[in-house]
Amino acid sequence: MSGSKPDILWSPHHTDRYVICDSELGLYRIGPVGSAENKVGALLLSDETAATLLAINSDTPYMKCVAWYPKQEPECLLAVGQANGRVVLTSLGQSHSSKSKELLGKEFVPKHARQCNTLAWNPVDSNWLAAGLDKHRADFSVLIWDISSKFSPEASVVTEKNRLPSGDIDSGMVVTKPLYELGQNDACLSLCWLPRDQKLLLAGMHRNLAIFDLRNTSQKTFVNTKAIQGVTVDPHFPDRVASFFEGQVAIWDLRKFEKPVLTLNEQPKPLTKVAWCPTRTGLLATLTRDTNIIRLYDMQHTPTPIGDETEPTIIERSVQPSDSLIGSFAWHPTTQNRMVVVSAANRAMTDFTVFERISLAWSSTTSLMWACGRHLYECAEEGGGSWEGAVEKDIATKMRQRAQSQYGHDTVQVWMNHMLAGGDDPQLKSLWFTLHFMKQYAEDMEQKQQSSKQVLVYSGIKNIVKSSSGTTENRRCWSGSERQANVLWFHSEERSLALRLCGWISQGPDIDVEPFLRSLEGDGEWERAAAVALFNLDIRRAIQILNHGASSEKGDINLNVVAMALSGYTDEKSSLWREMCSSLRLQLHNPYLVVMFAFLTSEPGAYDGVLYESSVAVTDRVAFACMFLNDTQLPRYMDKLTNEMKEAGNLEGILLTGLTKDGVDLMERYVDRTGDVQTASFCMLKGSPGEVVKDPRVQCWIENYRNLLDAWRFWHKRAEFDIHRSKLDPSSKPLAQVFVSCNFCGKSISYSCSAVPHQGRGFSQYGVSGSPTKSKVTSCPGCRKPLPRCALCLMNMGTPVSNCPDTRHGTGTSDEKVDLTRNNKLSHFNNWFTWCHNCRHGGHAGHMLSWFSDHAECPVSACTCKCMQLDTTGNLVPSDSL
Amino acid sequence: MELHILEHSLKVASIAKEGIQICTHGLIKLAFLPSKTRCKFFSLTETPEDYTIIVDEEGFKELPESEHLSVAEATWLALNVVSGGGSATNSQPIGVTKIAKSVIAPLADHNISVFMLSTYQTDFILVRERDLPMVMHTLSSEFTLLRVVNGETVAANSLGVTNGFVKPKLVPRPIIHPLSSPSNMFCVTSLDPDTLPSVATLLMDVMFYSGGIKEPGASNEDSGHIRFFSFSLIEGYISLVMDEQTTQRFPNNVLFTSASGELWKMVRIGGQPLGFDECGIVAQISEPLATADIPAYYISTFKFDHALVPEENIQSVIGALRTNESAGQ
Repeated sequence: MSGSKPDILWSPHHTDRYVICDSELGLYRIGPVGSAENKVGALLLSDETAATLLAINSDTPYMKCVAWYPKQEPECLLAVGQANGRVVLTSLGQSHSSKSKELLGKEFVPKHARQCNTLAWNPVDSNWLAAGLDKHRADFSVLIWDISSKFSPEASVVTEKNRLPSGDIDSGMVVTKPLYELGQNDACLSLCWLPRDQKLLLAGMHRNLAIFDLRNTSQKTFVNTKAIQGVTVDPHFPDRVASFFEGQVAIWDLRKFEKPVLTLNEQPKPLTKVAWCPTRTGLLATLTRDTNIIRLYDMQHTPTPIGDETEPTIIERSVQPSDSLIGSFAWHPTTQNRMVVVSAANRAMTDFTVFERISLAWSSTTSLMWACGRHLYECAEEGGGSWEGAVEKDIATKMRQRAQSQYGHDTVQVWMNHMLAGGDDPQLKSLWFTLHFMKQYAEDMEQKQQSSKQVLVYSGIKNIVKSSSGTTENRRCWSGSERQANVLWFHSEERSLALRLCGWISQGPDIDVEPFLRSLEGDGEWERAAAVALFNLDIRRAIQILNHGASSEKGDINLNVVAMALSGYTDEKSSLWREMCSSLRLQLHNPYLVVMFAFLTSEPGAYDGVLYESSVAVTDRVAFACMFLNDTQLPRYMDKLTNEMKEAGNLEGILLTGLTKDGVDLMERYVDRTGDVQTASFCMLKGSPGEVVKDPRVQCWIENYRNLLDAWRFWHKRAEFDIHRSKLDPSSKPLAQVFVSCNFCGKSISYSCSAVPHQGRGFSQYGVSGSPTKSKVTSCPGCRKPLPRCALCLMNMGTPVSNCPDTRHGTGTSDEKVDLTRNNKLSHFNNWFTWCHNCRHGGHAGHMLSWFSDHAECPVSACTCKCMQLDTTGNLVPSDSL
Repeated sequence: MELHILEHSLKVASIAKEGIQICTHGLIKLAFLPSKTRCKFFSLTETPEDYTIIVDEEGFKELPESEHLSVAEATWLALNVVSGGGSATNSQPIGVTKIAKSVIAPLADHNISVFMLSTYQTDFILVRERDLPMVMHTLSSEFTLLRVVNGETVAANSLGVTNGFVKPKLVPRPIIHPLSSPSNMFCVTSLDPDTLPSVATLLMDVMFYSGGIKEPGASNEDSGHIRFFSFSLIEGYISLVMDEQTTQRFPNNVLFTSASGELWKMVRIGGQPLGFDECGIVAQISEPLATADIPAYYISTFKFDHALVPEENIQSVIGALRTNESAGQ
């Protein structure tokens, strides 16, 4: 016998044993490396496992196919199909049971010799062994043998007549009469029993797949196809069958057997084995000739295709168990995704586990989950250690906390929002103050009815100063000194508006920074206060502030030294003071101290040392620029700074851009950098008559924020956000998509709808919300027919729910009804219509909620609908509270 | 019953004994190296007169042009009867007997010439391609006609020729050609394609050199014995027909010997070359056999026809055929 390719069979009952058959049969036991019984003569299969050869059987030459007896006992009984069509029962290892003695060596001989291509034991009636043979003119190619059949006298007559060589007749071990003969004048290349019924046999015949039904052998179902090799039933899906032909695998659905439900991509070389993974659904492994890879097709997510058009998605991948060419492989019967592979050449074996694809998902909070095979891992960060900081810093955590603390909802004291956000982010602080000042100014203008300026204020300082006209310039004196200051000081209405937006000055025509200085002093920002004072040319105030700072509890004593240095100011160009200050200032740590000396030592009109000191807050730099840059320098500086802010996504830049398209650009950078859609949504909603809100990016942030809230089950927060949003952006109010219509006239029962048909109304506004003036809320406003009754209180809908427990039992009186109708709580949620979409029963929402809190079935008697279980979200609990 | 019209376009050729050496390269390739050619249908039959080759167009390219090679001008198509339904009747007649009444007789009635090739696995009925419409018309009542296209069987649509056919003549068919029955017994067998390489040299010896043992023409003198050997490799299946002596030369267990181990005797038809146009020859032989329910193989060659019948039946066969023969004369 030449060139027989090896094959592997796992024992059906011992998960650590398998047989390799090539020219002989070898039984192996697999175990962990180094275990006691594996020490001697163990073959290493992988880093962890080794195999020991237990037994060899070379009694049966010309083996073509082997099948392992499926029953527990006798445990190692194998049927071997030979090249001449004979099927021999043999065994490996020792088994001394009487049954096995009776069976061993039994031979099943077809009338005409030809190759036995395949064998299959019936999984239910294990005495039945189906053998698939090559074609012989008038003979049958599928023979089903009964292994328990005795050598009958009748058969003896037949064999004698046919002159069997006498050697073969040994003590009745030769059986020549099969139980069933099928497939005359045809060839059978592959066989498998169908799990649907023990008498159904699927056979890959010459050019067709046939299902033989042993209950009626004259009938067969068949389909013409080339893919007739290696038929195998999916162990997880008894109607799914794979077969192959050359390089192509066809997948069949036996319920729709006319053509393959799909064919897999053709492989360049002919296939030799196709096997469904027994431990994982929908995983098919295929092997072609002369290759070292096994190709896997994952039909895990295949919906059972019904129409011809649905082409299910298949994930195809390859695994390479070892370097050598693969002869055959076999899935382990129980261990997930494990297989043993035997090489084509030298019977080298590899124990191999196909690694499962990992799918990974972030939760909307900080945990992470991944699935691998049957395992599901959750990775939640625990408090403590360095992790805590990371979690704290995570934007999702921050947004969650901020949502809970009503961040963004303070529409009166807008600046307060930065405190709600935690009060520790300078950018947010600047942003919310800017928005606060803008709002304040807009309100002032509204009072003065100057709506044009109201629009202007939201367009940012960059645009405000560009519109500037009538700038006056003057030389200001150092306050408290007669000396003429050597600086030009610019003023215009727009510039003072800018100063106001920067928070330096408050309402009013005067440039009075004193309140601002005091608030800075109150916050302990001594250096900043001193710098602001100095920029307002009030050296004495600056020195005074620094002294305060030095003497205060938290202040820096060194501020006194700075004060002394400051007091030595001279405007002489070549003084030692000037020279020293301009060089030494760079060594100061506090940026405000740096810019103070930069201001004092710079040439008039050349304040780059102040303007480009990036550690100084943008508001202060902008305010400074508005005071000391002329009409040509100022816009240039504004443009430059704006671009810088946009580039960096720095929220302080909103001061410059305002809530314009530029602002959205800037916010886009910010969101890209931080993911903080929450701030972006709230900020952009503040924009006045909102072109910016219509920007698709803004809409995207808003939708994402809403989704995020939903994902956190912050449904109340989301509702609050929607309300907030609809106030600021009325166009966001959705049109009503659901109406409650009358059973009789089909019109919406909403009062307003009967008046103005098809007017969009929010869901919350219909139902029983008819106005108190309307007398009959329990009837349809269109046709005056009564509304349906609540299944629990049996009152017509429209009757409000009384909190009195009696009403649950339907004892509410009409008097109560009238009273409660006057009660202004008609639109309370408890009164809403609610009904099951399945059984169509329903009633007051409040009643239904309390009913389903301790019942599973519909309240209507004789209705067994499990309404609440049909509601996927009905059992979820919001994780925020009202 | 299904009648499959196979997709092979076949050529029937004869190689003269003395010219065999120029063809051996191609023949060995076709017989033993199927992976090197795209040939799916190859049959070589050696008779005392010549070698008959039946080969598809792909395989025909392997043969050289030569004066020793004569080719029947027609292209032939192979028909194959498949008994669908798997109905299990008790005793199935083997070979041409089974199809004698259903296929061969109707074709003879319609004057369609057939060329038979029985193998271990099945019987092929070769008809001329140009006769196909007529064949389909003749057999469509009895069979489901299926055509093999690219390996898939599809329903063959009728070619729309319905009129103008000759009315079948329902007259008894006397045997008109002389018959002879050599003394040696034959074995129809097969072997596992995987073992083919191991016996290739032996087969080559049998095919090409056995004639050299005796003087050419010596077989004629030994009137009892006939030199006859047939090898076919059709769609991966090997079929062999050889006499009993030749089987002894093969190692044990290589040849598929049937459980019954039956042997066959030959009836040779024709005194002079039969040609390809005469119809009804197969029918003349197979009909009496079918009537007597005697199984038979039938192998047509370029010059003569050969029927193989079970050895125990040979006397009754000869008897039955002689009766018909005398009836004809």
